[in-house]
Amino acid sequence: MKISIGDVVLPGDYCEEISQVAEKSKVIIGPGLRKEVDRVYITKPGVLKKRNPGTFWVDSYQKRYVPSRGENVIGVVVQKAGDIFRVEIGGSITAALSYLSFEGATKKNRPEVQVGDVVYAKMLVASKDMEPELVCVDSHGKKGRLGVLSDGFVFKCSLNLIRKILNPNCPLLETLKNEWPFEVAAGMNGRIWIKANSMRETIAVGNAILGAEYLNDEEIRSMCNNIAAILAGHVS
Amino acid sequence: MAEVYKLIHPVKYFNDYINRNVRPDGRKFDDQRDIKLNVNAIKSADASAVVKCGNTTVVCGIKLELAKPKAEEPELGFFVTNVELLPLCSSKFRPGPPSDHAQVVSNVVSDICINSKSVNLKELCIVPDKLAWVVYCDMVCLDNDGSIVDACIITLMTSLKSLTLPKVNYDVETEEIVVDTSVRMPLNITGLPIATSFAVYQQSPRSIVLIDPSADEEEMCGGVGANLIICCNDEQFCGIQKFGGSNLSTEAEKKTLAIAKERSKLVEKVIETCLINEIK
Amino acid sequence: MEIEDENNFKLRPMKCELNYLSRSDGSAILAQGETVVLVSVNGPLDIKSTSQSIEKATLEVLFCTKGGKPSVADRFKENIIRQTCETAILGCLYPRTGISLTIQELEDFGGLLTCTVNCACLALLNSGIAMRHMVAAVCCAVSEEGNLVLEPSYTQVQSASALLYFVFDSRERNLVTGFTEGSFSENTYEEALARCRLASDVVFDFYRDIVKQYSDVI
Repeated sequence: MKISIGDVVLPGDYCEEISQVAEKSKVIIGPGLRKEVDRVYITKPGVLKKRNPGTFWVDSYQKRYVPSRGENVIGVVVQKAGDIFRVEIGGSITAALSYLSFEGATKKNRPEVQVGDVVYAKMLVASKDMEPELVCVDSHGKKGRLGVLSDGFVFKCSLNLIRKILNPNCPLLETLKNEWPFEVAAGMNGRIWIKANSMRETIAVGNAILGAEYLNDEEIRSMCNNIAAILAGHVS
Repeated sequence: MAEVYKLIHPVKYFNDYINRNVRPDGRKFDDQRDIKLNVNAIKSADASAVVKCGNTTVVCGIKLELAKPKAEEPELGFFVTNVELLPLCSSKFRPGPPSDHAQVVSNVVSDICINSKSVNLKELCIVPDKLAWVVYCDMVCLDNDGSIVDACIITLMTSLKSLTLPKVNYDVETEEIVVDTSVRMPLNITGLPIATSFAVYQQSPRSIVLIDPSADEEEMCGGVGANLIICCNDEQFCGIQKFGGSNLSTEAEKKTLAIAKERSKLVEKVIETCLINEIK
Repeated sequence: MEIEDENNFKLRPMKCELNYLSRSDGSAILAQGETVVLVSVNGPLDIKSTSQSIEKATLEVLFCTKGGKPSVADRFKENIIRQTCETAILGCLYPRTGISLTIQELEDFGGLLTCTVNCACLALLNSGIAMRHMVAAVCCAVSEEGNLVLEPSYTQVQSASALLYFVFDSRERNLVTGFTEGSFSENTYEEALARCRLASDVVFDFYRDIVKQYSDVI
């Protein structure tokens, strides 16, 4: 069967187009694709996507997180073990977070992190054979947006929803941010942290995000307006 | 040196042999191991046999008992097979309740027996609803070096062929049972199912079929229980089993059927010769 | 041997719902005819170190019958499904982890094992675990007159002289798993294998349809 970009693909299919492109130029194959001998096979069900000139991947549905390098995730500190913290990120094992990988941390000046804290961190090492390792600083030693998330509310969702709301074309956060103030952090491991001024507003943001999973852009806009109207007290 | 190489690079070690069209133990792909068969090795059992296929050794002992048939099937006797894989036969097995693999082997063997219809359960009945034979066939593996099902079936069928049932007199009124061991009747066995194991090794692009694989070869071809087992019975098939492992193409599958048929004739000859020698 | 016409080629109607359970990583409920099976997949997750493998993910299969009492026959079924799924998934991508498959039989009107294998494949698709290929199981019964019946009904199973089960992969339609009940001739076997291989296309098309339906919303 012939497979082209934008088609629904299933594991075991192979894409000739990728091999053809690969003959001429460099190709990057992303999640859901795997090279075997001379063909590129699909390994996950979903939609085959391409970004020019040569990046291919499969958009698939998934709930379980498999650590991958460079992604920002939200985790919960579950243990302090010597000089590392163990952070639960929803993968098969906990990830390690060194106390030195915080901004301004030294051997003397330990960061204040307690068991039970929620951290927003970047995956530094994520290999299938090793324990994943997190950091809360960038390569310049600055924390940027990473670090401990205080207060707020964390909830889980599917990995697709995270990708959907983080997509620059997604109108959800664009619309919501004009309605009332809130902070949000989305971890690629299917966790979202929200902080708003009141409980009511927090729940409204949470519902808006969860409700967006199966809606298209237009529907998302109207849903956001609805929620905003309810929140403002125009509609009871 | 070769031993160390095998430990460090098991896949490469195996591939090196396969590339030269030979197996690590010196056999060709379609060579089977020698079969040694001995009947009536255990004198205390009602019938027994020991078989050695290469290093794989299986003992089968048959014990007869009398029992009342089941109320639902008053005309049928009982035929019970069991395979035990003790820690004795391989380092892979631990003491304790039977492992999943042992249960699966046991199930495969008993399925082959039932499907081949070799033993007519009606013949095991002495007086309907009152008295019937229970044939317990216990197979114990002493050394597990692959193709365990083949060995189990050979020893089981040989034991069954040498089994004789003593005459039983049953008095319906007094319900008295008299067993006359001096008069013995052989049990009728129809057909002779013979199982042949194959391991499928995926060395892309070709897939190689290894007949009568050893334990090491099984390990390389998808682990325990991934063998293709073909059971022939008089030009008929009474069980073709394959659970996962490497995938089998149509041509390879046709070839295996032919090999299985050929081998079953050979094994049949072995069993018959052995039984004739025993009578002499 | 008599070969029946095309209308015999139809498989029993299949109905499926993915993501049936909200809490598991992947789940599917599949009805083939009147036989219904529910499968839930969790993983890759942490398992006890004795059952971890440094090379590939350990697959754990639990088969729950309607009666609920475990037996040797259930171990046998679990073995079939484990071996089949192990071939299908790319376990080498998730070393030292476990993937657990829980199967609940809901209704059994013949063809339970084929339905289970197909449902397990759908649940694995839903979970997003990387797979080498998909698998499709087809059952074929040999009636007493020697005719082949694909996907037999409950009464046909009872009267059949032999039952043949095949599982094919989605790449080359090669045989992944096969097992048989009863005795049969070589011709019957070849014929049944060829017809089941053709019929497996129907199952694979069904998978594609289901995933297509869900890819629009997900």
